[in-house]
Amino acid sequence: MKRMKPIMALAIASVAALAIAALSRAPASPLESSQPLVRLSWRVLGVRVEECRPRTEEELAALAAHMRTPQVCTGGVADYVLRVSIDGAETVRDTVRPSGARRDRPTYVFRDLPVEQGRHQVQVAFSALVPTAFEVGEQPLEFSWEGDVFVDIGEIALITLNPSGDALVHRAP
Amino acid sequence: MTAAVRAVQRRGRGLLARADAWCNALYTWRYNPLYHSGTVVVASFLILTVTGLYLILFYRIGAPYESVARITDQTFAGQWIRTLHRYVSDVAIVAIVVHAFRMFVQDRAWGPRSLAWVSGVFLTVAFLVCGWTGYVMVWDVQGQLLATEGARLMDLFPIFSEPIGRTFVGERDIPSAFFFLNLFAHIAIPVGIALLLWVHLSRLARTHLLPPKPLFWGVTGLFTLLSVAWPLAMEPEADALRLPTDVALDVFYGFWLPFTQPLPVGWAWVLMLSAFAAALSVPLLTRPRPEQAPEPSYVNPRFCTGCEQCYHDCPYEAIDMVLRDDGRDGYVGLVDPAKCVSCGICSGSCAPMGVGPRHRTGRDQLEDVLSFISRVGPSRDRVVLVGCANSAACRSGGPALDAEVFPVSCVGALHTSVVEYLVRAGAGGVMVVTCPPRDCWNREGVMWFEQRAFHQREAELKDRVDRRRLRVVYAAEMESGVLARELASFRSDLANLGAASAEKSIEIDTLCATPEVPVAETADA
Repeated sequence: MKRMKPIMALAIASVAALAIAALSRAPASPLESSQPLVRLSWRVLGVRVEECRPRTEEELAALAAHMRTPQVCTGGVADYVLRVSIDGAETVRDTVRPSGARRDRPTYVFRDLPVEQGRHQVQVAFSALVPTAFEVGEQPLEFSWEGDVFVDIGEIALITLNPSGDALVHRAP
Repeated sequence: MTAAVRAVQRRGRGLLARADAWCNALYTWRYNPLYHSGTVVVASFLILTVTGLYLILFYRIGAPYESVARITDQTFAGQWIRTLHRYVSDVAIVAIVVHAFRMFVQDRAWGPRSLAWVSGVFLTVAFLVCGWTGYVMVWDVQGQLLATEGARLMDLFPIFSEPIGRTFVGERDIPSAFFFLNLFAHIAIPVGIALLLWVHLSRLARTHLLPPKPLFWGVTGLFTLLSVAWPLAMEPEADALRLPTDVALDVFYGFWLPFTQPLPVGWAWVLMLSAFAAALSVPLLTRPRPEQAPEPSYVNPRFCTGCEQCYHDCPYEAIDMVLRDDGRDGYVGLVDPAKCVSCGICSGSCAPMGVGPRHRTGRDQLEDVLSFISRVGPSRDRVVLVGCANSAACRSGGPALDAEVFPVSCVGALHTSVVEYLVRAGAGGVMVVTCPPRDCWNREGVMWFEQRAFHQREAELKDRVDRRRLRVVYAAEMESGVLARELASFRSDLANLGAASAEKSIEIDTLCATPEVPVAETADA
């Protein structure tokens, strides 16, 4: 028995080490990982909707010298409306506000829409809410994409902006 | 609530005691890995640092997956070093859990030990976060899983103007800056771990940072061999447009995923913060009621000669030496109640018996032993077991072993005069039964007692005591078999010595040369 003790001690230490090594690479299927997704993810600088007027002489005089900007503007970055339809059914209709505490940072969209495995017809529209009175220059006011996506188990169909930032595109795995 | 916690502690303590006894039988108390769980964590940290330094030489933030794949392809070094880095990081978590469990069930997490507990909780979190960054560095499917779930959790807080999660959606390549930050965190967190470790150990004297060499090299060798024999393979690369389906998950660092993933992010945070708060509140939940809490030690300045022995022996650095203010020259011991865990080791260190927790000073122990002798009256052929509260002697009980038991809170608190008194009163033999030294709840009790009994450490056992009638035995709570064997052997040795002689009038030295204070005057102390 005494002779067996070191062998047993080594055997048990080895089993413990093997258990640790096995648990270090335990096969796992993360929850919800099989649900295919249509993912919307993009970011736009946003359309500035502001009204500006020059400051009066009195206003300028009332300001400290370093605060005397020639004009004063009110307004900010426009909100957007996001509409998504999948297979003809409207799935999302939301107002998306610019980010940042003062709502003056870029506007982003980041949504995961679970869908069934297979082919789906997807329509996405992302439109700035700009009152007609405002001049917005050449910035695009609306982005849209329409087409078929095919997603298998565990796959994501990504709708995002193209590298030049002027149109939505679809990326498949 | 407290009753439930106590019940959990009792059950856990029974479980741990069985596991300890089992490991003692296999590995001996000297190398029982359960006793060395804290030092195994530090040893793991060292191995992680060394292996990590090698891995960082080859890691590229511009091509994380490819660079790790290249490391894994290095058959002679990179492959097993990376595997060892991973296995040892898992060993660290296992050792942390064992260490925390031991401290919890042994009720060693409240009062002055709260700092060690709380810093230990933060150390655990730091290890887990460091491991998280390590897995993200590889940028395989497991890294992707941990990164996306981590980002989902972080995105609850409006730290950035845009969600961190958008980094991983495949809109564009993940910037190198992300992997640089991750690498920075993976290196910076261990620096924080080292600082936290310093806080964790700050209230301990003479800390043991590493396990005994055979255990250290045994664990290192075993996992090195395993790393060579069963190395890690590369998992599939992270793909932003595919959800990780089958992942080889490291349970020790990804155990939280099944709990947080199904929950909305707010509830996931509630769950995690609740677990964190529960861990932090252990010192509050386990502290005894004020009327039940053991009192800290007290130095009676009348007896204190300023010898500094209690100052040296205190395992928690709770005693300082300060200038006397009673007209005598020199220093006097002063106990800091905020650091004193009431272990009583100072009681055993003080030759004139002027220090210790109330009712447990050397003088109190002498009164106890007088009462014990008058009650039990040990005969000349019988053995008295002086048992530490956590040893087999107190658990097995005297009748089962056909011996009288004189219980003490810790043998480190036992004044050698008690042993002297028992031997001179005619006990056939005195067997001091302790928990194994590495499991001493007061860290150094066994070591100090042995030095006092056999190596002339103050307050030493006097030369006039026949050492052949004294034996020290390590028998943990569940090792009654060990105790029975040792007792039989001791009895056999005592039989060869013949009957003990009992002195009629026993004088015990209770004063050193300096103070001339009658013992009776100190009754109010």
